[in-house]
Amino acid sequence: MADIAIWGVIAALGLATFATRLSFLALLGEGELPRWLKHVLHYVPPAILAAIVAPQLLAGAPGLAATLDGPRAAAALAGFAVAWFTRSTFATIAVGMAVLWGLTLVQW
Amino acid sequence: MKNRVASPDRQQDFLAGVRACMPLGPGILLFGMVCGAAAAGVGLTPGQSFALSWMVFAGSSQIVATQLFAAGAPGWVIVLTGWVVNLRFMMYSATLAQHFRGESRGARWLAGYLLTDQAFGVTLARVLDGRKDIPWFYLGIAAALWLLWQVASLTGIFLGALVPKSWSVDFVVALTFIGVLTPLLRDRALAAAAVSGGLTSVFLVLPLKLNLMAAALVGAAVGIAMEKLWPTSRSGA
Repeated sequence: MADIAIWGVIAALGLATFATRLSFLALLGEGELPRWLKHVLHYVPPAILAAIVAPQLLAGAPGLAATLDGPRAAAALAGFAVAWFTRSTFATIAVGMAVLWGLTLVQW
Repeated sequence: MKNRVASPDRQQDFLAGVRACMPLGPGILLFGMVCGAAAAGVGLTPGQSFALSWMVFAGSSQIVATQLFAAGAPGWVIVLTGWVVNLRFMMYSATLAQHFRGESRGARWLAGYLLTDQAFGVTLARVLDGRKDIPWFYLGIAAALWLLWQVASLTGIFLGALVPKSWSVDFVVALTFIGVLTPLLRDRALAAAAVSGGLTSVFLVLPLKLNLMAAALVGAAVGIAMEKLWPTSRSGA
């Protein structure tokens, strides 16, 4: 992508994001989200976060023949357990990376 | 709500907010550095990488945009997908607005620009505690997090390339998202949305890198369907 186009994309995403953040704050809190939109917004974050994570646990590209990468999947599982019990992102990262490095070192 | 005039109060509220960001510091710094390093790593210039950090100022959206830039997705797909990731801010904005009715326009615009999951989450906990110092407490924690994020991004942009690839630091992104995602899975409908979103992005390959958009839609549809078909799958509905 051309340099100027990249700048355009970043600026457009920045402005759209700012508008989203500002929406109700600018309106002085008048009005409310429509119910259907509340429902959609309730479920989009877990769906999209999982969608970002899942392909990073694969050995190859996504697709019908996708297979898991052992160490990464194990590290993600360990991270999930830590996140579930501690609610600490930092501990999740620390334990997950330790598992990944450990398994990579023993060449699993 | 009556507007408070005494400025020493505001200053104290603000500083209380700044202090409240401390426990979040290490995680934010690490994630910010990875986001900066990732943007610089896929060939964005330092200026562009830093623009992602202060114009978009949302880690997950920055990562999505970075990955889509690297994958050669069309510009409109990058903007649309990155924006969908940030739609949740509208919910936060609606909640925060109720506490900012007495504040100036400048304060409200600043509150909007600085809005993040973490600033909102900590502030919401304070609201539920029944505290009345919400606006300036929020601005304090949000501004402190902003500053940490920018410092971390710049560090990542300029020093990220020094980290050997064999350390797999890119995996910090996945773990950060797991750390953010896990507490969201409060009931079966939310878990179903996450699982179906994840599976969609693994097995469905769409042209123009529209996979993430599709995964978000499928996940939301599955979550809503779960809730409608089995009302008990949603807690506290």
